[in-house]
Amino acid sequence: MESFFEWLQGLSISNWIATDESIWSFPTILFFHSVGMGLTAGVMFIICLRLVGVGRPLPVSSMRMLFRIFWWGFVLNAITGSLLFAAHATITGNQPIYYAKLSLIAIGVVLAVPLQKFVRGDGSDGLIPASVRGMAAVALAVWVGVITTGRFIAYLQ
Amino acid sequence: MNFVHLHLLLNHVPTVGTIIAFGVLLLALAQKSDDLMRGSLALFFAIALISLPTYMTGYSAEAVVKGRPGVNTELIALHQSSALLALTFMEATGVAAWFGLWQARKPAGRSRWAVPSVLLLSVVTIALMANAANIGGEITHPEILGPGQQPAAAVGALAPASLRSAAIRYYQFHHPNAWPTLEALHFIGLSLLFGVVLVGNLRILGFMRNAPFIDIHRLLPWGVGGFVINSVTGMLFFVGQAFQYIDNPAFHLKVLFMLLAGANVLYLTLFDDVWTLETGDTAPMSAKILAASQIFLWIGVIYFGRMLPYIGGAF
Repeated sequence: MESFFEWLQGLSISNWIATDESIWSFPTILFFHSVGMGLTAGVMFIICLRLVGVGRPLPVSSMRMLFRIFWWGFVLNAITGSLLFAAHATITGNQPIYYAKLSLIAIGVVLAVPLQKFVRGDGSDGLIPASVRGMAAVALAVWVGVITTGRFIAYLQ
Repeated sequence: MNFVHLHLLLNHVPTVGTIIAFGVLLLALAQKSDDLMRGSLALFFAIALISLPTYMTGYSAEAVVKGRPGVNTELIALHQSSALLALTFMEATGVAAWFGLWQARKPAGRSRWAVPSVLLLSVVTIALMANAANIGGEITHPEILGPGQQPAAAVGALAPASLRSAAIRYYQFHHPNAWPTLEALHFIGLSLLFGVVLVGNLRILGFMRNAPFIDIHRLLPWGVGGFVINSVTGMLFFVGQAFQYIDNPAFHLKVLFMLLAGANVLYLTLFDDVWTLETGDTAPMSAKILAASQIFLWIGVIYFGRMLPYIGGAF
């Protein structure tokens, strides 16, 4: 694994992100990563809050288009996150908290699929099944965890 | 014109402004006028916004007067902690006032405790603001004291030691997890706020049209909740490390964008253009422009927040 991290960090793009001193390299990628977080976690917070019962009069079916924002935000953050990782792969790759974050993201993405299926389905304005409410509650906690572990990566080096 | 001028200009707003808003509130109760009530609540909200830069520019004033002959450093520290206490109550008043405006849009109307809580909080705020202003005035104007009169700070003014910048900075340095925990909370608040901003404004822009705006409005307190988390955590960053922010251009722009976005929230809460949108309705163009600007402003807040270390050298 270590040799992979070294290879990744040795790429010219990784090197540019890590060493360039202008605001157009690392800082700008970090900015897009934050916006992607706002899109992904922000939209998921709203969806999950509504599914667990907050803001009840809002029709669940009106939230269908929010999943598109969620997935675009996720793509943006997969790209920017990979770039940020590549720049410091030998450091971040050895941080346990980084793997905690990746695991939480995996759980969050896996949970998004059945939640999306329910919201986009025909009966979404009817009764919300307990299983969907449960998954939404877990997803809420998971995305809070993603943000928290992500933030701590920068401070536990 | 610099930030010290701005402090001297703005520092009258929280004291005088709150008293005026309080007067309008009493008048609204006496006249049973809902228009006056909304005006008063909107005033409290606006003053709560302006109080943030009022407090922050105080550190620029400190940098200028500190070390001058006749300027008492202890008085500055007392002014700062008493002002932070007053600011806390001012912001609580602003949030309570916003809730009063928001509840008026609910079918059930404003709850019974909304106006009394604004009344109570604003009375406490006025007293605390007067206390802070009194100490502040004596920093560079010792001549206002009568012969033999002690500075306000020496005769039992309210200025809790735990709210001193030095105390908060000390805590942050000696608890290595404090700063990252505040950062994590700041980003959770950001996501919550940004999510509500997106959903509310996308509806105005014409998406999610099978929801009437009145339903979207039930989500707004979550956005305000995100804003409160971020004001508290953001102020703790600022109070602990003010000198990495007060001369930081990214910080100035971040605060400016945030205040403009706040004014925008007031527009959306007060005016009828969007509140009357039913299922399938399209918002007027003016509301769409404001909705787009709201999303733009919050992305700007994120941008300049993220750039604090890179444009201005904060950590």
